Amino acid sequence: MRFMRGIQAALFSCAALGALTAVASAEDAANWGSFPGYTLKVKLIGGTQYEKLYTRIPEWEKATGAKVEIVSSKNHFELDREIKQDIATGAITWCVGSNHTSFAPQYGDIYVDLKTLIPQATLDEFVPGTLASSMVDGRLVQLPRVTDVSNLYYLKDLYENADNKAKYKEKFGTELAPPTTYDELKQQVIFFANPPNLYGTAFAGKDEGMTGRFMEIVRANGGDMFDENWKPIFNSKAGVDALQWFIDIYNAKAVPAGTVNYTWDDIGQAFAAGTLAVDLDWPGFAAFYNDPAKSKVAGNVGFALSPLGTAGKRGGWSGSHSFSVTEACDNKPAAASLITFLTDYDSEMLEARAGNLPTRTKAFTDVVEEFKKSDTPYMAEMFAVWEKSLADARTPPLVPQWIEVSNVIWPELQAAIVGQKTAQEALDTAAKKATQIMEDAGVLQ
Amino acid sequence: MRFFRSRLSPPILLLMPAFVIIVLVVAVPLLFSLYTSFTGYRLVKPDSLWQWVGLRNYQRLLSDVDFWWAFGRTLVFLTVALNLELVLGLGIALLIDKLTAGQRVIRTIMMFPMMFSPILVGFQFKYIFNDNVGLVNNAIQSLGWENVTIPWLVNPITANLAILMAEVWMSTPIFAILLLAGLMAMPRDPIEAAKVDGCNPWQVFRHITLPYLMPFVYIAMAIRSLDVARAYDMVKIMTNGGPAGRTELLWTLIARTGYQDARMGMANAMSYASILLSVYFTVYFFRKLAAARRTMGGVE
Repeated sequence: MRFMRGIQAALFSCAALGALTAVASAEDAANWGSFPGYTLKVKLIGGTQYEKLYTRIPEWEKATGAKVEIVSSKNHFELDREIKQDIATGAITWCVGSNHTSFAPQYGDIYVDLKTLIPQATLDEFVPGTLASSMVDGRLVQLPRVTDVSNLYYLKDLYENADNKAKYKEKFGTELAPPTTYDELKQQVIFFANPPNLYGTAFAGKDEGMTGRFMEIVRANGGDMFDENWKPIFNSKAGVDALQWFIDIYNAKAVPAGTVNYTWDDIGQAFAAGTLAVDLDWPGFAAFYNDPAKSKVAGNVGFALSPLGTAGKRGGWSGSHSFSVTEACDNKPAAASLITFLTDYDSEMLEARAGNLPTRTKAFTDVVEEFKKSDTPYMAEMFAVWEKSLADARTPPLVPQWIEVSNVIWPELQAAIVGQKTAQEALDTAAKKATQIMEDAGVLQ
Repeated sequence: MRFFRSRLSPPILLLMPAFVIIVLVVAVPLLFSLYTSFTGYRLVKPDSLWQWVGLRNYQRLLSDVDFWWAFGRTLVFLTVALNLELVLGLGIALLIDKLTAGQRVIRTIMMFPMMFSPILVGFQFKYIFNDNVGLVNNAIQSLGWENVTIPWLVNPITANLAILMAEVWMSTPIFAILLLAGLMAMPRDPIEAAKVDGCNPWQVFRHITLPYLMPFVYIAMAIRSLDVARAYDMVKIMTNGGPAGRTELLWTLIARTGYQDARMGMANAMSYASILLSVYFTVYFFRKLAAARRTMGGVE
């Protein structure tokens, strides 16, 4: 019997290997279809880091005979506003739109379920967790392009400095090493802070950035934003402890006072200027931090996994930039072909080489090998750390009201951080407003 | 066609296209947005346009402390910004008017801030007032106060002052250019006569130049009071109304409610409450303008 099971396993392995080879060869000889004379209208996210991929569009045009007309290219917040206006006026005259896992649930049913347009074999090549996060109400409304999850960047010289090591050991009784928990992170950012020349860290203090970072620690502390009935529960002990973490480092002057107005670029610039010891941030900053022309800390940056909360878990706030196809599109196969092309192996390698986390499993492993071979261990090390953290990656609640709820949470978090309210008062107020939003939407009875 | 010719007088016929355009471009959108303020209209749910909620949006607004704080802050911001821009614009216009050479070059340079989009101005001042890598704090530290770091955009007073400064920098040239036009169109005879009669420069300014300029002042004030909402982009970039709502103005609050939250019904209710502000300022300035023109012997 055991022998038979062994043969069965061997046969299954061979079959699986064969299937994989078939998929790989299908990819090599990708056929993007033929749409001669057709003009595909698209609305894409703009900005230097996103537009490099669009240089591949002429390849697709050549292969299919179609033309791509970029009718709008804006940052995501402006694009979001424009898409909402299009929905309101019923003027969805375009086929492909950039999307994001945080925004997608808001748009109702304007986007098609891509499972009906893209072969399962192609979908199987994506990182399963990333693809699962791209679903809304069981529908695959977007094809992920790059994934984001945060981990720690730190200045290596601070951790290697003998004087720092001795003082840290004397003060806390433990060796100075990159933090593994939020308590340790708090302890270290306060220890390193020497304002105004050096701050322990900085955090995104407004908009969804603030809510997201808070959510990350709430989840790491064992809490969550909503219960299973969509009742806001972030004013629990896990939430209060999470907010208190921000308040403590703010009061200790371990972060710049202006951090409550910072967004990602401000934090990136501050870390690159060498004024932050540690930075919990997105993978897209890795290449920038190590570029001597733009960063003072090039060659001095180390990586560590994002810290664990009091529940021994990682928050892993994650999201993916993506592409969607509209229901109103008059040539869905062409649209599906373009978005598959823009997320195929070559596109994903292009994104990965720029330091973004690819969404195709194969690109992930191949880019690390490539970095190792090309003598850029810095990027290889970065990918290794980020890949580990993907296991704990979790999107914000995939509910249409998320952005609206976020907009009532972050001003209250700010109020507590700058000392206008206690953590409990601020969270209770935010929870009350969030409850009203969920009740108005009919999600919470 | 015969009906129109027989029933309507030529002046009405001639004015008809203008009326039709105004109704289409102004009245219809206004009435539509007024209607939506009584609905639960959400941008992403077009069907909600027919969800009549009566006065609920307005009732919620009445008890919304954050809205009234933003309303009050906007009122103060408008009053201070417009007056400050007027005083500075008048000063600049008077100085430029005195120039005998290079006036055109200076006029052009003076208009530079108007050419920047409010978004760029927002980024520029956000960087200037950044507490960590900003210009102002770096300048203070370079002057010897090495440990001084002022969180300009966090403190409720300095944050509002920083926004006010950005707004004044961006919009003072508009006042200056309008008032300079007034100064250049002004007849010189009364001034020379006053000087011959022994008036000192202050008396000339107070009793001749200023009354002559007042119609220009009120026109500039009326235009700017309506146009000042352009500052939205700037505030959005600098603080987005934060921290903790300390710099929240009606524009940031309404835009967030209408677009990010997609609650257009509520955003329109907020807009109608704030339209009262605009109407008040416009009526006030036009009444002042009429009074000033009467003083100058002009025709109302």
